[in-house]
Amino acid sequence: MKAFAYERPATVQDAARLAAERPDARFIAGGTNLLDLMKLQIETPATLIDVNRLPLAEVTDTGDGGLRIGALVRNSDLAAHPRVRKDYAVLGKALLAGASGQLRNKATTAGNLLQRTRCYYFYDTTKPCNKREPGSGCAAIGGFNRIMAVLGASEACIATNPSDMNVALRALDATVETVDPQGAKRSIPIAAFHRLPGDTPQIETNLKPGELITAVTLPKPVEGVHLYRKVRDRASYAFATVSVAAIIAKGEGDQPKMAKLAFGGLAHKPWRVEAAEAALVETGSTDAAADRVLEGARGQGSNDFKIPLTRRTLRATVAEALRA
Amino acid sequence: MRLTVNGMTQEAAPRPGQCLRTTLRDLGWFGVKKGCDAGDCGACTVHLDGQPVHACLMPAFRAEGRSVTTIEGLAGPCRSGEGVPAEFHPMQAAFLAAQGFQCGFCTPGMIMTAAALDASQRQDLGTALKGNLCRCTGYRAIRDAVAGITHVDPGGEGDPIGRNLPAPAAAETVSGHARFTFDAAVDGLLHLKVLRSPHPHARIVAIDRSAALAVPGVVAVFTHADVPRRRFSTGRHEDPRDDAADTLILDSVLRFVGQRVAAVVAESEAAAEAGCAALRVTYEVRPAVVDPTLALAADAPLVHDGADRPGEDAPPLHAHPNLAAEVHGGVGDVAAGLAEAHHVYEGEYHSQRVQHVHLETHGCLGLIDADGRLSLRSSTQVPFLTRDALCALFELPPDRVRVSCGRVGGGFGGKQEMLTEDLVALAVLRLGRPVKWELTRQEQFIGTTTRHPMRVRVKLGATRDGRLTAMALDVLSNTGAYGNHAGGVIHHGCNEVLAAYTCPNKRVDGYAVYTHTLPAGAFRGYGLSQTIFAMESALDELARMVGLDPYALRRRNAIRPGEPMISNSLEPHDVAIGSYGLDQCLTLVEAAMRADPGEPPPGPDWRVGSGMAMAMIDTIPPRGHFAEARLRLEADGSYTAQVGTAEFGNGTATVHRQIAASALDTDPARVRIAGADTDGVGHDTGAYGSTGTVVGGQAVLRAARALARAILVAAAERMSTDPAACRLATDRVETPAGPVPLADLGPIEAAGHAEGSPRSVSFNVQAFRVGVHPRSGEVRILKSVHAADAGCVINPMQCRGQIEGGVAQALGAALHEEVIVDGAGRVVTQTLRGYPIPTCAGVPVTEVLFADTRDRIGPLGAKSMSEAPFNPVAAALANAIRDATGARLTATPFRPDRIFAQVMNAVTVGEG
Repeated sequence: MKAFAYERPATVQDAARLAAERPDARFIAGGTNLLDLMKLQIETPATLIDVNRLPLAEVTDTGDGGLRIGALVRNSDLAAHPRVRKDYAVLGKALLAGASGQLRNKATTAGNLLQRTRCYYFYDTTKPCNKREPGSGCAAIGGFNRIMAVLGASEACIATNPSDMNVALRALDATVETVDPQGAKRSIPIAAFHRLPGDTPQIETNLKPGELITAVTLPKPVEGVHLYRKVRDRASYAFATVSVAAIIAKGEGDQPKMAKLAFGGLAHKPWRVEAAEAALVETGSTDAAADRVLEGARGQGSNDFKIPLTRRTLRATVAEALRA
Repeated sequence: MRLTVNGMTQEAAPRPGQCLRTTLRDLGWFGVKKGCDAGDCGACTVHLDGQPVHACLMPAFRAEGRSVTTIEGLAGPCRSGEGVPAEFHPMQAAFLAAQGFQCGFCTPGMIMTAAALDASQRQDLGTALKGNLCRCTGYRAIRDAVAGITHVDPGGEGDPIGRNLPAPAAAETVSGHARFTFDAAVDGLLHLKVLRSPHPHARIVAIDRSAALAVPGVVAVFTHADVPRRRFSTGRHEDPRDDAADTLILDSVLRFVGQRVAAVVAESEAAAEAGCAALRVTYEVRPAVVDPTLALAADAPLVHDGADRPGEDAPPLHAHPNLAAEVHGGVGDVAAGLAEAHHVYEGEYHSQRVQHVHLETHGCLGLIDADGRLSLRSSTQVPFLTRDALCALFELPPDRVRVSCGRVGGGFGGKQEMLTEDLVALAVLRLGRPVKWELTRQEQFIGTTTRHPMRVRVKLGATRDGRLTAMALDVLSNTGAYGNHAGGVIHHGCNEVLAAYTCPNKRVDGYAVYTHTLPAGAFRGYGLSQTIFAMESALDELARMVGLDPYALRRRNAIRPGEPMISNSLEPHDVAIGSYGLDQCLTLVEAAMRADPGEPPPGPDWRVGSGMAMAMIDTIPPRGHFAEARLRLEADGSYTAQVGTAEFGNGTATVHRQIAASALDTDPARVRIAGADTDGVGHDTGAYGSTGTVVGGQAVLRAARALARAILVAAAERMSTDPAACRLATDRVETPAGPVPLADLGPIEAAGHAEGSPRSVSFNVQAFRVGVHPRSGEVRILKSVHAADAGCVINPMQCRGQIEGGVAQALGAALHEEVIVDGAGRVVTQTLRGYPIPTCAGVPVTEVLFADTRDRIGPLGAKSMSEAPFNPVAAALANAIRDATGARLTATPFRPDRIFAQVMNAVTVGEG
């Protein structure tokens, strides 16, 4: 591990300002991802800004019936929160489908939002990776790409976002609240938070330098069955090959009257196609919905199976929701 | 900074970036283990203000002012260096009562996680324990511990044989005081790190070490110019000539990505790593061959080119220079057997590369001891053979080198290698200072050994009523860049698989091929898991062709007592059926499968089917396997057994204590087991080939019997009476003239030896009932039964654990584990996240049944049961999936995406 400076600011404003002043600074919250990456010298920040003492660990009701989740709320606390269990079950299910208890006890909301890819080649510093070392190439293309993206990938990067929480937040239409070094606050819809790799896969979100996540807000709950279905190689604790976060309200007969569907394991960001939801509600056909979701999908060889698997997973999830 | 550890305030000065795990270990809390250092395995779990967290992912400075509890302090406040607590925490007591551990390396983390669970979390252990990996137990014993189930026999009067007595080190294991390889504080320790090859095949043109030597803290750099020009094999066998001498400590030719290029020794691990990064190496990259079939092409690049070894003896001559070993043989006439067959089946099967994933990585600590000797404390299954190899390499007499083990955190064959000791010995001898090299989990994946990937073609012929007329095997084994275990594995893999069946015509052609990939090595089953997957799958198809149920086909053809055991030649051998329990195993499994269908399938649309497979294994490796034990009656009347073999979770210390106590008519608690130390006994071949009970135990039994005789003679002499009239009791000798306390007779010592010949055979039968979802390809195990003929089972609880662990490890290999090597020869799966081994949620309960036999060869009628349970699992599972869906899976692992199309296709065709 490279030596680094360590700062522990007392206010949100100080934290953001420090991050803007110091080159190569990184915020550290739970550290469950960052510390691992630092040990492997994939992340080599010059300054670590410990944000754990900032007053951002509260979960509060918003005026309009929604929920505001502080950036430092631990994943275990969030999954256990009564309002999450009652009104935003898909979020709790996604969190529990993810990391182990030990990790959830440390990992935070903001940290999970910024969780970095688990691409094998990103982790292997002897191999080229545009995300780790821009311009070096992508060893995953033409390599072993079973876990890689089939949607929204680029010539530079085919990595996926590994977070389960992010998929649920996407289905819930969450908003990410931030503050910048000048003190300006901003609300970023989750849809606009994560980026596709394009030719800058090293830039994973639309956060500006020094901009600090303070909270995630959820709109007031919508009626419907909440499901999180995760397909993986091992029965527990593995990253998703495909996952779906679904909120589905049953209408007449066997047809949903409302559906919100977000997918994990497919792309560099949680994948959601609103037109697919409309198609599902209009036609009742999960295949029609899957066609929209998978528009433009392209396998890389060993991950071709993800395309039909997404279709079948969606079918099974909708069927389960309608049975519930 | 100041923090509270186990109730006491402690000062610590963590280095920048140091994690809590290593900081706690620096403070002497060795119960905090490293399995991955990346938050995947949970071995380092501690409580931070009461909450379980991974100490490896916690920056130490963030523990300032907080309260940390490690396994040592779970039962209550304590100081570093204090021993086993007087009273255990209830969860520690529960792990003791259920013996919820084997090697014990994962146990501290497992207990710390389990101790923090509430009642509802304990109902769903699959979820609650997903952050803690165990490779030995198969999790049943852990689930029982958390559920508060007691398995341990409280002890007391009577013969200890056949009883569920606890492991000798049980109390230390559950309290974090068991001392594994690196749980020793050494002053002035240097750290070794290596730079590894980025190329599958290259020659080192030059290494510029100046920048590395300039890194503060770097003490030395070693390259191929600094090592003895003496070739050896990392694979260790009783006869070192069993493995090709094709390896140098550091070589100027690199033959796989991950091979050692150079070593840097420094005052800290960070400096050693920085030194490696500062080395400037010029490579001449050469063409490489990664695929074993292509390696046999006429113009394939040579892995071991004689031109690279001028002046040395040429490697043994094979048909192709990339052949590391071959086996050819047969009996009868296979062509004639096939011609007379009514049914002929032919199939090709593939077994992938899998890794042992023992939770304690490889490594050792070396120093010059007070007597000026080279002394290594190593994580090895073969301390004596490693000592011998070091003596040969460095031209040292055996009494100038000591190799010993602490408790070893799992092995599974992976530690029947010398993978770190040679380089550490070199550094210690050159620098005269203590040196440590502990592999990272990533190095474990890219730089150690794996199972041999194999392509196995099977051809079988049978009469109309299902009697085998011909069996032919054609095997291609990928041994990787070096020949360690190449020959042993191909020979063994082609042996018992055929000897298990009576058939007049048999043929084997086996090829172990060098490729520019990481070396394969010894792995549980030693070649048999791959060939048995093929053979038992093929026999299942044959049974279907004949119209026989699979049990009946085995009964019709499997070897029976009195029949000659023939694999691929008529040469005489020393294997006999010391006891025969295969018939019982088949009947036990068949009856258990009939009696209870197991769990219902998850839904009405799931396809359900059953399948079985059997396996036979020789109880001891061929051509001599030696053990020595020294038993001593101490002056205080207790006993100490010095045993050569290492305890690495296989339970041999447990078994040895019961054997010794039985022969000495004493309480096992009075027998202390020490071992795996070249200072302890003269020679011991090692803990491999499933020999811990049958060879090591034999030596213990002989030593104990000799000691018993010596004690009786001494007591008789003391009381002027006849030894034949005297009798040993727990703490005394009863004589006609009254009792003599043992404490009045010690010290007396006796030795016992075992030679590993003749040998017997063990049998295993596994069956599964599975549900397969026809649209997702998902496989659910509804019932699992395993019967074993282990002869006299000395400790049923321990043996059951071995079997459950073997089945679980084999399920990982059958369902999802794969070390993926890409087209450029690089290992892609370098983390436990990328290489998923079974978790608690993924392992079904396996009903374990024992045949009732008593071996006439093994000690007290016992046979081996270490590798064997692994071998029939993949085929039994494939046969069950075939039964459920019609799809014949011919390649492991059966991942959902791999099998989906095949299952879909078969189901659709079946419905059509």
